Amino acid sequence: MMEVSPSENVSLREFGCEQTLLSRPDGSASFVQGDTSVMAGVYGPAEVKVSKEIYDRATLEVLVYPKVGLPGVRERSQEQCVRETCEASLLLSLHPRSSLTLILQVLHDAGSLLSCCLNAACMALMDAGLSMSCLFCGVTCAISTEGEIITDPTAAQEKESRALMTFAIDSKEHRVMMSSTRGSFSVQELQQCIAISQKASEKIFQFYRDSVRRRYSKNL
Amino acid sequence: MFSVLKERVGDVLLPGDEFCCGPQETLSLTDSGKPERLVAGPGIRQSGDRLLVSRSGVLRHKEPNKFWIESQQRRYVPAKGETVIGIVTAKSGDVFKVDFGGSEQASLSYLAFEGATKRNRPNVQVGDLVFAQFVVANKDMEPELVCIDGSGRANGMGVFGAGGLLIKVSLGLVRRLLAPHSDLRADLEKLFPCELVVGMNGRVWVRAASVQQTLIVANLLQSCDTMTPSQRQQLFKRVQQGGL
Amino acid sequence: MKDTPLSNCERDFLLKAIEEKKRLDGRQTYDYRKIKITFGSDYGCCFVDLGQTRVMAQVSCELVTPKESRPNEGIMFFNLELSPMASPAFEQGRQSELSVKLNRQLERCLRNSKCIDTESLCVVSGEKVWQIRVDVHTLNNDGNLMDAASVAAISALCHFRRPDVGIQGEEVTVYSPEERDPIPLSIYHMPISVSLAFFQQGTYLLVDPCEREERVMDGLLMIAMNKHREICSIQSSGGIMLLKEQVMRCSKIASVKVSEITDLINKALLNDKTARKAGGRCGFAESIPQERITALKTDQTSVEMTGVGETVSSIVQTAEAPPQKVPSPLLPVPGVGQVGEGMRNTWGVEEEEDGDSSGGDSGEEAVKMEEEQHKEDKSRKVDVVEILDSEEEEEEEEVVILYPETTEKAKNKGSSSGQKGAATSRKQQKK
Repeated sequence: MMEVSPSENVSLREFGCEQTLLSRPDGSASFVQGDTSVMAGVYGPAEVKVSKEIYDRATLEVLVYPKVGLPGVRERSQEQCVRETCEASLLLSLHPRSSLTLILQVLHDAGSLLSCCLNAACMALMDAGLSMSCLFCGVTCAISTEGEIITDPTAAQEKESRALMTFAIDSKEHRVMMSSTRGSFSVQELQQCIAISQKASEKIFQFYRDSVRRRYSKNL
Repeated sequence: MFSVLKERVGDVLLPGDEFCCGPQETLSLTDSGKPERLVAGPGIRQSGDRLLVSRSGVLRHKEPNKFWIESQQRRYVPAKGETVIGIVTAKSGDVFKVDFGGSEQASLSYLAFEGATKRNRPNVQVGDLVFAQFVVANKDMEPELVCIDGSGRANGMGVFGAGGLLIKVSLGLVRRLLAPHSDLRADLEKLFPCELVVGMNGRVWVRAASVQQTLIVANLLQSCDTMTPSQRQQLFKRVQQGGL
Repeated sequence: MKDTPLSNCERDFLLKAIEEKKRLDGRQTYDYRKIKITFGSDYGCCFVDLGQTRVMAQVSCELVTPKESRPNEGIMFFNLELSPMASPAFEQGRQSELSVKLNRQLERCLRNSKCIDTESLCVVSGEKVWQIRVDVHTLNNDGNLMDAASVAAISALCHFRRPDVGIQGEEVTVYSPEERDPIPLSIYHMPISVSLAFFQQGTYLLVDPCEREERVMDGLLMIAMNKHREICSIQSSGGIMLLKEQVMRCSKIASVKVSEITDLINKALLNDKTARKAGGRCGFAESIPQERITALKTDQTSVEMTGVGETVSSIVQTAEAPPQKVPSPLLPVPGVGQVGEGMRNTWGVEEEEDGDSSGGDSGEEAVKMEEEQHKEDKSRKVDVVEILDSEEEEEEEEVVILYPETTEKAKNKGSSSGQKGAATSRKQQKK
């Protein structure tokens, strides 16, 4: 039986975050994972276009801007992944007939971009003070050709990997809210990656808590 | 009664945090006469016998039974009875449309001013500032403002704004300014005489004796969000001594 | 989304303040806000903070065929994107008037001033030249986007390195940065735009207007100049009448500002160069201000792995075993494999694609498949069902296992929301 062994150095690159760094948006955050960084801005609840109005909940729009060129198919799929995750955690029914706009600007892509987008999105939504049922975070796992699992891979590790998966995990019960995968892998490997991501998410949620606590340290 | 909650007062909580209130709490909810009924304020939602936190911030408590999450927000969501500073954006028929920074424009009837009658219309121009109170504010209806209180008096509301400056601050700062014994307000009062109109929607209108002083007050207020009381007092002292 | 309207009282106050030579943020008439230039970790990436206004520029390059009219010249392409992040008034995918104006001004400032030696970008005359693309993204609009964009664009161009190319006969090879050091662009001069706002029909003048000042101004004069005091472009908008002396005075102010900013850019470039040489970390991640309470950073952390193996094996074991029997494949026509009687095999198309992408040679493919099957056999716990087509088997297995898993999940969640349900079903579809 071939057992996929997670490599010894299953680790997350150093990560950091800055909230409320832009003056115009209602909520903003930049999230850095290693060299990968994404900036997020949130507007809302704000006026909604009649064509996009939903009578019983807020319309959430997610826009991803690449660093070079105009948004393409890749960005559209990232937008969809982030939007569906946000929709599941936000309490959109509290603000019917209004719009929430989440804009993500890729500042640097050095691997695990989608998980960085998710983390930046969550921090920005929190900064905007929108009501959420739970928080979420993104974790990317790569399975190398030797069958090793690497969490938070760099761009080079992503390139060499056999399979790449990104999970959005909720803060309450550490369940998978969204998954996006590439490449082929066995069920065993998938479960292993999910389990590792759930472990890794604890670190990120602790980081969320620490950074919010730091932020309110002058209001205590 | 709410020992679980009370223990955490002053703590920073995040969306998704949960509190389980024991069965005795749920019983007391049905007992309407008792004061133990829990009032869940902004950021806390009740679901069955559990309390869910839906916003990040500091848990606050007010005796005997009010709990809420204090957070730093910038976007305003209207609530009935709150007073805001609005900007008149249009006159359409019998109502003025007022922008207050929310998701929708509020309507303000021309009769909702002190002494206004069908003949005697108030003098309101597009672009004017109004200080007004919400009479209708819920998620499903168009918000409605009035500039009179229940007895038909202006009570400080109406069109205002000549000679002052409008600034935008966080909603948290506004609430700190309006708190009954606000130390921030006390600090400001020591500085120099100035006039403030504070709307719950994060807009503050400032007027002092000169343009320079108005600008100083405005800039001080905008920087107050990220300062501890001691840092603020130091800064104010420096301003008083003419350091800035 | 609409922008917040400007009230009459703000307008009156601003104009009164300007008359008294006072500005909202305490600046003097000719003062710029604080400019901060940060470079990203890769070449050609630059962030500029002008007070609260934030702009990012990224330079990229590509080999293209040149224009017929200029076979020996590289191509410069500028794109200034008014992202909705910068202001609620900016909408996605719509070319607003402001966007056109800023793009045009940026092009005039940087391309038409011939500040970059486009002839050095030629690789093979008439066939291959470098196209240099400059993307400027607005992140936060607090007025004077133009000046911030021009500083960001020229700094990014100065910072950029293009890959080296070698020509041997007809062959053009592009060397990766590991093989040969990338080459900087040859830049003749650095044009920088300086915006001057006019109030009260030109009576009052302010340098670097902020957002609210921009809203009440009567006219705007944008002068692009380099430090040799050569004017690269000049544009007046708003329709105010300016006297000759006023324009001369403005250009004098601009020349002072331009030399200040050029020094700043050079200093930032030098700083970045020494940091890179020393091997220190640079880039956006390092520019997060640590002392602010809104910012937090952690070091690299390892993930606690205890118990992961157990949970995985327990999940895999508790998952309902896949049905032992798979309907036997049907062979209606030679060369066609089908599962399930009378049903069309929906996997057919995908299978073909998979085959195409995995291996070109059919013979090799067959060997590979067999190997794969061997691996599969070894790794799987469940009883192996004998199907000759390994590709099909793999897919079949995935479907079979996923099904009980999702149902279990649904059971677990009980009152899971509609979105979650949609997510899992999407997952299934992906498979």
